[in-house]
Amino acid sequence: MQKTFAIAACALGFSLSAWAGAAYAHHAFAAEFDANKPVNFKGTITKMEWINPHTWLHVLVKGPNGTAQNWAIEAGTPNVLFRRGFTKQSLLPGTEIVIDGYQAKDGSHRANGRDLTFADGRKLFLGSSGTGAPYELQRTK
Amino acid sequence: MLVGFFSWLGDTDWSSGLHGSQYAYSIIESLHVWTLALFFGTVAMFDLRLLGLSMRNVPVSEVVDRLLPWTIAAFAIMVITGSLLFFAIPLRSFQNLFFRFKMILLIAAALNIWLFHARVYPGIAAWDSAAVPPRRVRLAGGISLALWTCIVISGRMIAYNWFDCDRQPQADIINFLTSCVASAPDLASVAGQ
Repeated sequence: MQKTFAIAACALGFSLSAWAGAAYAHHAFAAEFDANKPVNFKGTITKMEWINPHTWLHVLVKGPNGTAQNWAIEAGTPNVLFRRGFTKQSLLPGTEIVIDGYQAKDGSHRANGRDLTFADGRKLFLGSSGTGAPYELQRTK
Repeated sequence: MLVGFFSWLGDTDWSSGLHGSQYAYSIIESLHVWTLALFFGTVAMFDLRLLGLSMRNVPVSEVVDRLLPWTIAAFAIMVITGSLLFFAIPLRSFQNLFFRFKMILLIAAALNIWLFHARVYPGIAAWDSAAVPPRRVRLAGGISLALWTCIVISGRMIAYNWFDCDRQPQADIINFLTSCVASAPDLASVAGQ
């Protein structure tokens, strides 16, 4: 009886923590991205995916040796970006930007975006709070 | 084919509108999680009663009368909001390993409910007031608790894109289970999830 109760309690606790997570983060930053792999580059927006639960910015980045790479940058929800003053139309293809973020753990050309800077110096914080992303830390160069 | 159908569905105005919505998607998702809490909470209390672990001096029939309306109401809202979440991202959800696992578990849970009401519950007169119901009643409660726990966990895991079609290479078995057609890896071009 004690054992049955212990198992039931464990199962309950596990599922409780499972849905508590669902309420505020879609996937934890640490599950996908590496805080020790910061990226910083200049690029041109090729596509903006204004979708839930995360928006994605597709950026063409010119490498130092002239090669071009496609990067996908994860950002907050449409609602989060909207509250910061951005709409679907703010990040049109062709816009030149600088991206600060953290690369995916698997080494692919994906990153969790932190800051986006326009040519005129305006900044947009891309992150969604509560994901565990190191968004408060300013990267030291 | 279903992949083609869900691909078309995702391109409809209503589906992509919901996917890119300012408020609707987050409200629907919140509703899904809130009602999940109510649903799983009442299910767990009932299952624990069947296991003889909670409300042992309350007749099982009375626990049913008090909890079941809440369970059913919460389940109805969960099905509606869950379907809408699927509708917003149909193709990716359909090919998601955890989503498929969750659907299979849901069928198993439905089967368990049917078995309980068809085979176990009609004999309730004999154990209605028993502090610890007979073994097969406890078994039904235990299976229910385990299944719903796994359903909640696999539902949570749908958000993770570890086995998504756009992340190749994957093991052949994964691509088979998710009906993915593996193409040249191009991780950056289709990262949206």
